[in-house]
Amino acid sequence: MSYSATAPGAAATAPRRAADDAPVAIPVAPRTPWALYGVLFGLLGAISIIVWGPIGVSGTYPRFIGWIATLVDPAYAEANPYLKKMGSLFKPESFLVIGLLIGGFLGARLNRERAPKCEMAHPGETTKARRLRDAFIGGFLIVFGARVAGGCTSGHIISGITQLSVSGFIFAIGVFATGILSAKMLSRRAAAGA
Amino acid sequence: MLIPVLSVLIGVAMGFFIQRVKASSPAMIAKNLRLENLSVIKFMALTMAVGMLTVYALQLVAPQILHFDVKPAYVVGVLLGGLIFGVGFGIGGYCPGTCVVGIGEGRHDAIAAILGGVAGAAVFTLVYAAVIAPIVKMADLGKIRLFDVVHIPAFAMAIAVALAFLAAIRFLPTDVRKA
Repeated sequence: MSYSATAPGAAATAPRRAADDAPVAIPVAPRTPWALYGVLFGLLGAISIIVWGPIGVSGTYPRFIGWIATLVDPAYAEANPYLKKMGSLFKPESFLVIGLLIGGFLGARLNRERAPKCEMAHPGETTKARRLRDAFIGGFLIVFGARVAGGCTSGHIISGITQLSVSGFIFAIGVFATGILSAKMLSRRAAAGA
Repeated sequence: MLIPVLSVLIGVAMGFFIQRVKASSPAMIAKNLRLENLSVIKFMALTMAVGMLTVYALQLVAPQILHFDVKPAYVVGVLLGGLIFGVGFGIGGYCPGTCVVGIGEGRHDAIAAILGGVAGAAVFTLVYAAVIAPIVKMADLGKIRLFDVVHIPAFAMAIAVALAFLAAIRFLPTDVRKA
């Protein structure tokens, strides 16, 4: 992990390992059938509201923490106000998350495509270690931020705006303001050699 | 037993759709946030337009079958949470749901994102009572929807917002670089 795939000579000295380990660059965004799946996802969201309620994912993370806490230290789990508020892991949302895992697997499998094990999201992610670091930091902030707001892309934006909730619009404004800013800054910093 | 089975199936379909439009690809998300390609943003806008037209049309004929669950608009907390979320979205290129889809696809960095998310949830749980709960109570407008603010019928509001989204989808380029 100490080498950089883009450093001069790296490809010559460690050709196979470097190529396998370095994040894959995707210079051109692939064309996708987004219009078809946008319509289907809109109908799916309505079905979910009929079956049990709007879809949502991020609440499952603290419910998972709560489930672990009840196994390790039931007294703490009982005393923590947030874990009490979020309740048991045995909710439709948790089953939905299991479905997401299966759906991702089937989507890639039925299309006979192999997703890259590691993709370069920003030009600075020249090694797998850097990519994993960014994914971890990103993962921390999205779940922390989602819990501050009370929902994530699915709960606040997709389900929230579908229901015309004022909170969904406020959350979306916040997400795209800093999302666009941080993504653009990360590409510029790397371009400047930082 | 019916609800858990149906919720797994809804999750399978959702994961499949997310995989097919490459919303689980961090590179694709980064391109959308850099506004170089708008396909995932258009996918989301179309999803919401179709969803709002469907549920508010259904509300006119069969309101009893809908389980709406509107989240409270505590302005400071929701906006602050959104701003924090956006930074993480820009850095990692994953959402709390898309990283689960990514693991299903076999992405290694999606595992790092989930571990980060679990750590974020654990830290949040520890600091909630002291730091978050007071913020959350600030400027709470309650579980309001747009038509509670602009007093027009819900379905008319849905049509207006859906048309705005559809116009944006129609007139903005999908591949910005080529346009």
